[in-house]
Amino acid sequence: MRIGIDVGGTHTDGVLIDGNRLVAAAKAPTYHDNLLESINQVLQAVLAGQDPVRVQTLNLSTTLTTNAIVTGKTEAVGMLVSAGPGIAPKHYRIGDHYHLVYGSLDHLGTETSALDEQDLEEAVAACRDQGVKCFGVASKFSPRNPAHENRMTEAVADQADFVSCGHLLSGQLNFGRRIHTLYYNSAVWRTFRAFAAALTASLKGFQLQAEVNILKADGGTMPLTRANEMPVQSIFSGPAASVMGILATTRADHDLLMLDIGGTTADIAVFAGGQPLLEREGIAIEERPTLVRAIRVESIGIGGDSLIQVVDGRVIAGPQRIGPCMAAGGPAPTLMDALNVAGMAAFGDVDRSRHGLSALAAEHQLAPELLAKAAIEAALDTLAAKITALVREINTKPVYTIHEILTDREITPTQLIVIGGPAAVFKDLLAARLGLEVTVPPLYEVANAIGAALTRTTSHLTLTADTARSRLSVPMLGIFRPIAREFSLLEATAEAKRLLAADLDQAGVAMPAGEIQITQADAFNMVDGGYTSGKNIRVEAQVRPAVVGRLENGAVVIRMTGSP
Amino acid sequence: MLKATSSLGVIFFPAFDWAISPTHPEREERLLYTQDQFREEGLFDIKGISEYRPLLAADQDIMRAHFCFPSVEAICTESHRISAGGAIQAARLVLEQETRRAFALVRPPGHHAMKVVHGNRGFCNINIEAVMVEWIREHYGRKRIAIVDTDCHHGDGTQDVYWHDPDVLFISLHQDGRTLYPGSGFPYENGGPRALGKTVNLPLPPRTSDDGYLYAIEQVVLPILADFKPDLVINSAGQDNHYSDPITNMQFSAQGYARLNELLKPDIAVLEGGYSIKGALPYVNLGICLAMAGCDYSGIREPDYNHAALRESSEIMETIKQTCDYVLDSYFHPPMGDFEKQGKYFIRERKVYYDTDAILEKQREELKDCDQCRGLRLIKTGSSHLLPCLGVELPIDCCPTCEREGYEAFNRSGKEFLVSQLLDLKSKQFRYLAKE
Repeated sequence: MRIGIDVGGTHTDGVLIDGNRLVAAAKAPTYHDNLLESINQVLQAVLAGQDPVRVQTLNLSTTLTTNAIVTGKTEAVGMLVSAGPGIAPKHYRIGDHYHLVYGSLDHLGTETSALDEQDLEEAVAACRDQGVKCFGVASKFSPRNPAHENRMTEAVADQADFVSCGHLLSGQLNFGRRIHTLYYNSAVWRTFRAFAAALTASLKGFQLQAEVNILKADGGTMPLTRANEMPVQSIFSGPAASVMGILATTRADHDLLMLDIGGTTADIAVFAGGQPLLEREGIAIEERPTLVRAIRVESIGIGGDSLIQVVDGRVIAGPQRIGPCMAAGGPAPTLMDALNVAGMAAFGDVDRSRHGLSALAAEHQLAPELLAKAAIEAALDTLAAKITALVREINTKPVYTIHEILTDREITPTQLIVIGGPAAVFKDLLAARLGLEVTVPPLYEVANAIGAALTRTTSHLTLTADTARSRLSVPMLGIFRPIAREFSLLEATAEAKRLLAADLDQAGVAMPAGEIQITQADAFNMVDGGYTSGKNIRVEAQVRPAVVGRLENGAVVIRMTGSP
Repeated sequence: MLKATSSLGVIFFPAFDWAISPTHPEREERLLYTQDQFREEGLFDIKGISEYRPLLAADQDIMRAHFCFPSVEAICTESHRISAGGAIQAARLVLEQETRRAFALVRPPGHHAMKVVHGNRGFCNINIEAVMVEWIREHYGRKRIAIVDTDCHHGDGTQDVYWHDPDVLFISLHQDGRTLYPGSGFPYENGGPRALGKTVNLPLPPRTSDDGYLYAIEQVVLPILADFKPDLVINSAGQDNHYSDPITNMQFSAQGYARLNELLKPDIAVLEGGYSIKGALPYVNLGICLAMAGCDYSGIREPDYNHAALRESSEIMETIKQTCDYVLDSYFHPPMGDFEKQGKYFIRERKVYYDTDAILEKQREELKDCDQCRGLRLIKTGSSHLLPCLGVELPIDCCPTCEREGYEAFNRSGKEFLVSQLLDLKSKQFRYLAKE
């Protein structure tokens, strides 16, 4: 049996699944200052009458790190950032303890200026004086040569509780993103670790012996022990859980769109041939781009609580939200109220909706029904425009080979899957507007928790080899070792697969070799002075996000626990 | 976080699956390290700088700019269509005002490809700037366009395409033709009889560095542009003036290239040559992108950069200054070349060698000295590989007489020529005719 829990902004959802059968589902309020309480409540509900020992896996998606960052409840991080020429590292300044250490590596990983030991000493001393205990160390081009990062890590080792090191976090090139990712990882580390410890203790109380995994923004999971090292990966896992929920409840093997409509926003994700598309480089946190791999989810400011306004004679819906809809006791008319007035929904106190809309309509000499229709139209316009733009953008993404230009398949979604609270209400409206088949999957209210329960571990690595210098690099595993000059692309891909499987195995995850995908495998002929000097090999391997099974249809009562 | 002060679209297309041959400078590896540098420096995370994929140039797009013999397919592979399509994408972004500026970082290059094409010359098959310029004029009407060729080699192909076109100002700065391929580009080459002064050649002595090059930009190029008042400025951006380039002898740097683009403010830049793929391109390309986007580029420099050591001698600087004075003066007072004339036609007879493909072309160009329009142009061309072909070009302002004569020449060409191609810029007719 598997348990999936998604701690969301308002509710915490949980499900218990046995094979392909949903056994129990529950919802509890999310207590932002005590997430464990919310988790305990849904666990209690879904485990009622069940044997907890039979639960093998517990997957948890939590807003813990997201909230810590959004509310500023993060720890001071000593950032040691090393760079030489190029775009100045001052542009990536983050936090109050950002120290520059001169030193430079070029794109081949050659040291072009040694690390400035005096800069380093001063930075380390400043952090010591200010009592900084968590660190992030980054150098430009560290995935090509970790020497400077390793030296900086060594310099803070005896005064640090935790150090995030750039090349171990990602093998991808992008200095600015590396810096941001390290900062956030270290800033939430202590909070996450405390939570993980409390969670582990609490699960013992439930007699649970399941392996515990934490959801990542890419829709996959990581073992709790790994999450303790890379807590930043657990950010924004909620939308990813919903996307995986679609895969777990719907037959999705073609191009389709997912729309998750909530109170404030609607999240859109795109599936190509049934696979959710990932962000090209990583997700942004507080508008700062990072290297955290994530399912590409575009948020639009349209939801049930979107405020309706009339501006210069034009009716607009969203992106503003000042409270819930009037039907639920809110202060001003929203999109949900408009749906109530238009007779498309009967949510909460319909009379309050009508009253609120009539007042706004009167101010602008409009009939309330007309205002309601215009507001719904405006919301649909915004959604449709965003969806069109998103698909266009995906279809015009840059490619780097002639082969891709000539063979690249255009994504043409034929189906829209709508989930979230107001999903059912929007179904026909969206079908009419977008000309797509629109479906609302069964169990759409707990799709996120189902996605969490049934998703599997994901992982990836970048391997580069330079046979002219006889060097193999797998930054994320800290591997930088010599190879034979004859090392081939074939050997490189085999090695990438082997290393990824071994690393997962070490974390306690058994992954069959066939599940490891090679997403890039290139070998460039390197020429020096007119002669071939070697090969520059680049390989990317990954275990892509996927669900371990699909739910059979079956009705289950969702238990509500706690006070609403 | 950095922000562009003028938005920039970059069409980055390294063609990772195309090479002239495995060890040729024009090979898969050429833009690999530039991509690494862009990624590590987070170029596309800068607000206002975005990445686009190239379009694909169709036969018609190429036939607007060239006479390709025996056919477009015989001359162009997919790689050339994509490279030219990258330039077209750059133009589209700017003319549709999606971005303020655009840089087509594409390969293979094109500035040695002339009006008539029989094969590959100097790594180029088709002239990607010319295909782009003709695409612009096709879709956005007649425009005054300035092409500033900053490749180290003389842009003899682009010069040839626009030799007779007074709407296109072509300025080439390059290493002196007496010391480098293709051996042309002297100040006296200043345009055909109907476009005198609209071709400007500024040869620079070997070992010219940032100071000398930027002097030429400030003292010659900018004043000429101010006078010409183009609607669009295009930088034909070769990067082989770099001090580390393996096949040239100049001492320009990444800082110099960035400053050049800051001064020139091109609407569109198109990559040409540049073969120091590890030591120059990553830094030069980054510098150009930042300068075009109006970002601070002061930190960009090569690991081994040494301004003092690279600086040209005072003798070289003196030569540069003299050339600059002469070239500026000849733009404003272009000397009439000794154009050969037979009857009503200006005649140009010459041989063109295609070094990459070892083809020798013999060409006779006849340009009608018409007082109603720019004049009908007939190009009779044969090569060591191909029997005589005919190109018939009707200018954009073609008069009825030239139009009639042009179509007559084209329609009866099947008796004499193996292949003929019609290029009617006025009525936008582009087609081939095979021998009867």
